[in-house]
Amino acid sequence: MNYRSFFKAEWLSLLRRKQDTLNALLFFIMVITLFPLGVDPSSEFLAPAAGGIIWCATALSVLMAVEGMFKEDFNDGSLEQWLASGLSVTYLVVLKVTAQWLMVVLPLLIVLPLLGQMLFLPSEALATVMLTIVLGTPALFFIGAIGAALTVALRRGAVLMLLLILPLYLPVIIFATGAVRAAQLQMSFHGQLAILAAMSIVALALSPVMTAISIKASVN
Amino acid sequence: MNWTWFHKLGSPKWFYQWASKWATKCVLAGLALLLIGIIWGLVFAPADYQQGNSFRIIYIHVPVAMLAQSCYLAMGIAGFVALIWQMKLAPVFIKSVAVVGAIMAFIALLSGAIWGKPTWGTWWVWDARLTSVLVLFLLYMGVIAIQNALDDQVFADKAVAVVSLVGVINLPIIKYSVEWWNTLHQPATFKLTEKPAMPAEMWLPLLFSALGLYLFAAGISMWRMQLEILQRERKSKWVKQEVMADGI
Repeated sequence: MNYRSFFKAEWLSLLRRKQDTLNALLFFIMVITLFPLGVDPSSEFLAPAAGGIIWCATALSVLMAVEGMFKEDFNDGSLEQWLASGLSVTYLVVLKVTAQWLMVVLPLLIVLPLLGQMLFLPSEALATVMLTIVLGTPALFFIGAIGAALTVALRRGAVLMLLLILPLYLPVIIFATGAVRAAQLQMSFHGQLAILAAMSIVALALSPVMTAISIKASVN
Repeated sequence: MNWTWFHKLGSPKWFYQWASKWATKCVLAGLALLLIGIIWGLVFAPADYQQGNSFRIIYIHVPVAMLAQSCYLAMGIAGFVALIWQMKLAPVFIKSVAVVGAIMAFIALLSGAIWGKPTWGTWWVWDARLTSVLVLFLLYMGVIAIQNALDDQVFADKAVAVVSLVGVINLPIIKYSVEWWNTLHQPATFKLTEKPAMPAEMWLPLLFSALGLYLFAAGISMWRMQLEILQRERKSKWVKQEVMADGI
């Protein structure tokens, strides 16, 4: 096993489990549908709230996707192979999260124009929403990976992981929706985008180390 | 520099004996200071020219809120120590302080709501400070939850250390992001670098109650740590001697 073959194997196994990707996408659409049904279907409510709704749905579906990330590897002993392989677990985590990110975020970006229409999102704000998702979701994935690694040994870890990780998502959501709101008001939003990118970079720098520590502690 | 004290801290036995000397004293001194501060603040301090008597809840609210933040910071540092030097006492400290901090954050939210009603006219506003204390409370609950969920002691210790360290890195980000997002709360009452804007007869009791609460919490945490140490080291000889010393 080397890094390249590892990434290829991860990517292939994600491709072969299309249902998981589809589930994350359907979950995303479902959460978005809840808002017009539960609050108000008029365009006066939905248009200004669209950025927030999309981001809440994104955060939840990312958490859902990330939660089971290491589960199968833990059950079939792959995590032990990681530790025995002599490769750096930190880099393996980065590769695994990258594969996962591509698999969840790309489909999400494809359906986004459609959902934007359903939420009456002004078309000039759509590009901003997509940019915030591209720049902000890496932070969500990397932070979530820590929680996934910590709760991997638990049978019912999902709720615990939500409780642990969701508070840490707040800054990303705040700045992403801030950027969308600024775009809707036709103001400059580059500052918010820069902060989102910065948060993703910090998460990329710190989280794989923490995730590796947690994986080593989980596999005993 | 002499590092013996630091190495000694790694020994549960040494800490247990040190704490049994100081814990009770800390709690008593803390209670005394707290009582002085609160009675002074509630009865003798002058009323605020704008908020009248309702401002007096400051003597509970501010110390509690300060302590809630300090506890998390201390937990984060302990998490760092636990991961890097693998000190036995650090996870014990985190576990004991998490509960104290969670209670403090809860009281801060509660007293803030009670203070908010007469001053702002509502129990709750989505203001930066309030939101970040709410998030702080949720972070504490996360640490406590994962502590309770994991059965394996070694793993639970690692997990809690990771969570508190990650939380402490994130806390300033959360704080500044919600501050950027919305602000209504008055700025910090005490800053280390400036003289307080209040007259001395108003901030002196606050200082007393804050110091008292810190001492009190330190004492309580030491008691909790002692209990935790006894439980973890129950197989060692010195614990048996300690427990048997007074007979059964």
